Amino acid sequence: MTLNDLAPLIPLMVIAVSSVIIMLGIAFYRSRAFSGLLTLAGIAVAFITLFGVQGTRQVTSLLILDDYALFYIGLILAASFVVALLSSDYLEGRRENIEEFYILLLLSTLGSSVLAASTHFVSFFIGLEILSVSLYALIAYTRNELNIEAGVKYLVLAAASSAFLLFGIALLYGETGTMEFSRMSSGISAQGINKGMLLTGFALVLTGVGFKLAVAPFHMWTPDVYEGAPAPVTAFVATVSKGGVFALLLRYFIQVDMHAYPSLFGAVAFIAVASMFAGNLLALLQKNIKRILAYSSIAHLGYLLVAFLAGGVMRVTAVTFYLVAYFITTLGAFGVVTMLSGKERDADAVEDYQGLFRHRPWLALIFSAMLFSLAGIPLTAGFIGKFYIVAAGAGSALWLLVIMLVINSAIGLYYYLRIIVVLYAQPGHSEVSAVSSLPLTGSLVLVLLTVLLLWLGVYPEPLIEMIHRMTMRF
Amino acid sequence: MLAEGIFIYLAAAITILSVLVITRKNPVHSVITMLVLFFHIAALYVTLNAEFLAAVQVIVYAGAILVLFLFVILLLNLKEEAVARRYVGPWPLGLMAAVGLFLAIIVSLDSFVAGPKGAFTTEVIKAETNTKALGKILFTEYLYPFEVVSIVLLVAIIGAIVLAKKRLRS
Amino acid sequence: MILIWLILIPLMGGLLAWLFSRGNDRLPRWISLIALIIDFILVLLLWMQYPERAGLTNRSWLVDINLEWIPRLGISFHLALDGLSLLLVMLTSFLGIMSVAASWTEIKERVGFFHFNLMWSLAGITGVFLSLDLFLFYFFWELMLVPMYFLIALWGHENRISAAVKFFLFTQLSGLLMLAAILGLYFVHARGTGIYTFDYTQLLGTTMGSTEGMLLMLGFLIAFVVKLPAVPFHTWLPDAHTEAPTAGSIILAGLLLKTGAYGLLRFAVPLFPHAALDFTPVAMALAVIGILYGAVLAFGQTDLKRLVAYTSVSHMGFVLLGIFAWNELALQGAVIQIICHGISTGALFIIVGALQERIHTRDMERMGGLWTSAPRMGGVGLLFGLASLGLPGLGNFVGEFLVLIGAYTVSIPMTAIAATGLVFATVYSLWMIQRTFFGPREVYLKVPDLNMREMTVMAFMVAVIVWIGLYPQPVINTAKGALNALQKNAGAMTSFGKISYPVSTGADRDTK
Repeated sequence: MTLNDLAPLIPLMVIAVSSVIIMLGIAFYRSRAFSGLLTLAGIAVAFITLFGVQGTRQVTSLLILDDYALFYIGLILAASFVVALLSSDYLEGRRENIEEFYILLLLSTLGSSVLAASTHFVSFFIGLEILSVSLYALIAYTRNELNIEAGVKYLVLAAASSAFLLFGIALLYGETGTMEFSRMSSGISAQGINKGMLLTGFALVLTGVGFKLAVAPFHMWTPDVYEGAPAPVTAFVATVSKGGVFALLLRYFIQVDMHAYPSLFGAVAFIAVASMFAGNLLALLQKNIKRILAYSSIAHLGYLLVAFLAGGVMRVTAVTFYLVAYFITTLGAFGVVTMLSGKERDADAVEDYQGLFRHRPWLALIFSAMLFSLAGIPLTAGFIGKFYIVAAGAGSALWLLVIMLVINSAIGLYYYLRIIVVLYAQPGHSEVSAVSSLPLTGSLVLVLLTVLLLWLGVYPEPLIEMIHRMTMRF
Repeated sequence: MLAEGIFIYLAAAITILSVLVITRKNPVHSVITMLVLFFHIAALYVTLNAEFLAAVQVIVYAGAILVLFLFVILLLNLKEEAVARRYVGPWPLGLMAAVGLFLAIIVSLDSFVAGPKGAFTTEVIKAETNTKALGKILFTEYLYPFEVVSIVLLVAIIGAIVLAKKRLRS
Repeated sequence: MILIWLILIPLMGGLLAWLFSRGNDRLPRWISLIALIIDFILVLLLWMQYPERAGLTNRSWLVDINLEWIPRLGISFHLALDGLSLLLVMLTSFLGIMSVAASWTEIKERVGFFHFNLMWSLAGITGVFLSLDLFLFYFFWELMLVPMYFLIALWGHENRISAAVKFFLFTQLSGLLMLAAILGLYFVHARGTGIYTFDYTQLLGTTMGSTEGMLLMLGFLIAFVVKLPAVPFHTWLPDAHTEAPTAGSIILAGLLLKTGAYGLLRFAVPLFPHAALDFTPVAMALAVIGILYGAVLAFGQTDLKRLVAYTSVSHMGFVLLGIFAWNELALQGAVIQIICHGISTGALFIIVGALQERIHTRDMERMGGLWTSAPRMGGVGLLFGLASLGLPGLGNFVGEFLVLIGAYTVSIPMTAIAATGLVFATVYSLWMIQRTFFGPREVYLKVPDLNMREMTVMAFMVAVIVWIGLYPQPVINTAKGALNALQKNAGAMTSFGKISYPVSTGADRDTK
């Protein structure tokens, strides 16, 4: 390990250092605007330094900064940037001292980025812990009753899932004698692939990861945490935290070829189908927008797993494209919720949105665009994403899964449509509609997200090309 | 034979004590049971030739953390567990999952063969002493994670302060 | 470029209509009307240039535009126009104009957004009729549904929400099945040739196993027969048609149903000729069941709009029958039926809409004797009622007759049963006219008659239906080249022709 090794880590270090700078800054001068600007600057600088990393750089056995990692780190940074912008107005007036929020935000972004670059179980676990521990505090940040409940719930379940994960890692290590992803696959083939202990190890790792990704049957915490957390934090949990974990999962199961283990394949297929059905069917019963979006995100992770199970060149492209679309859409949807939320509570009841089109036509349209994207309707990025996933599934002849996906898309449509109809209905009586004026930064962010959404929906070629180049060098 | 007997005793004791920790109504009893539990875990480390870990276990967990726990409980003056709404689902489900996992491990235990060993075999560690071996690897190969763990602690500190800080009413 | 304009003009018109709608209800209407008229003129110009109009050549694509879109996946922006699409695009802009005019006074709120949805839906339909890339086709296929959903859900009648949701779920689910089938075809093609492409012209003649072909064909077929609709996939139709505002009903019945027929003609049969041939008996049986079932149910309705909706099921049965008979006569009949049904049903919906605007009910129990106060409305209603029952001299007769002759060469019993559908049609059409315009006078004595605007709309529609009824040759000539090309592409389906009887009807001598 030399100084030379440090160079590719600059993006990660920039994030860590900016959190320390903000912390020191707070000690001398408390200002929301100042801390917010520092955060945005830190993320932006980190993003720019990503372009300075040349080629594939393996930094010790723990981290690798290849195009794949850089792409995902970029995605994570962009999402955090959006969350930071959205939360600045949201937090104002909800509690005193909101500067620490930014420190936690930056550090959890760091955790997620580490995950995207991990090639070793140690960095995996540490990244996951940085991410989770800062999320405990972020979820409970505004300290009302719902917040605290959500925070405690997330704490308990995330800690439990970490325990599963650790146990699984220990079993895999015991069998293969290594914690490096790349050496693990040769260790496994030396052991013979269908060994009970290995499978138990995989199952435990999957359980731990499954909790983080909120896939069925490990999804129970999701609706409560989504509902309880402050809206921008919910957006963060839904995007950054899941994105990092999924990037890692994909990398791991490319290095350890999952298709060699029929039972493992079957287990993931079961998780995918269960997530789709659990997410979509339970969403039908909800009356709270945040809960609906929570269940919908469970279903979307199920769709992602379908592409994940597919083999061939399309897998990484399909998953990555879908994740990008999912990021944009989820940030946009929660962005709208954030913008409409009053100081007393978040705008999360379906009634709050009744007749939104009348007094806030643009916001209603943006929200509709996001919901259509979630539903996979053309002109939106979600459509291309879903198309890609179906294509990846069909390309690997996973017909059963594809049919399940198709059925679930139809079920999903039903509740997205229900919200959309409410948007255009006659206005009801709700205090949310009385919010005086919308914050400027938030509006700009939402417009930008919508433009991106439509652009990717109409002309996805540049992004596809970019992802493709990234996977070529994988 | 003796080693096996000790292991079985420790394992059984750890299991029973863990169950006791979470089932005691009185938090002070819970903490004290946990203290005993930590000592047993430390003993387990000793049997595995990990003396350094055993020492850390006793000093950090039993010595520092549990004392803090006790302080908090005494300061809050909790006698009985506050009756709160349950956050988690029905316990039979959890029990089923636990039993299932247990059976899966029992079944697969049969097939366990330890993988290839690394550079630090028990003999090497014995020759070099535990602490030195650990320090060596921690400050060379695993320097990054070692440094990064400090960030985890930083996060935890900030999170705790943020959540626990009194509201300022100006 | 002209093809892109055909889609862009309604898209931009819709946007403009919406942008200029603030505090002004008239502007959006005029913008939409003008945009659609420009669109219609463009299509008319195209038609004038079209040599087959006079039966000159047999070239299949008149205009063809192929741009790169997502080359990585073999997706291109490929639009092309042949006689069949030309007729349908012409129908689209024509009915578009009619629906804007028909809803001139009906829509009073959110006028701008209404026209936005109307125009975008029309643009999507135009895109469906023009696209030759399967991905693009699916793109437009889905795109036309969203605005339609809004049209029903926002401006519809009492049970609009449930009707809209039902409509959307049916069409979306079947659309997704089609997507799966499209991708299946894409990979089957790539497996055989190594070329990944969604281009229709390249995918034609893909070799595949028979079960494979059947499954893929069913994926397409289900999407199309849901739209058409054929029994048993028709249940969304009566609700959607009944609850939609007048313009919505016109577009639904006049155009959206036709996209199903077009899909069958253009994609389902030519891409999978063997599977389609195997499926023919089932499809024809479904068609015949649809004809009778739709007619019987229509007879049982008291809601005037619902009645008209059920007649669609019956009439589109003829189209399905014609398509699966797959000889030139039957195909020509199907095309004419598509056009004439669009116009006659559209006109009936306009009349129902006008009635509802005046007497605020669609219940035939509460109508009767309207002729005295509204003779013009009664006259037009009678004419389109007669068209719907297949009176010679009006367009529908030509369509149904050609379909029956064509189908006769394929299956005599099916044709015989289908022909009885005409009898039912006579019963329900006359009964409908009888209950609304004649019969005992009820409460509503004074009903304002059709005004100038409505009469103008009606005049155009009457002109077209009479013209096709008396002189269908231009339509037949226009479609001929395209239909021949389709038949040639679907080589295997023509084996029906081998067992067919020689038929001659003057204009169309060769059944091939």
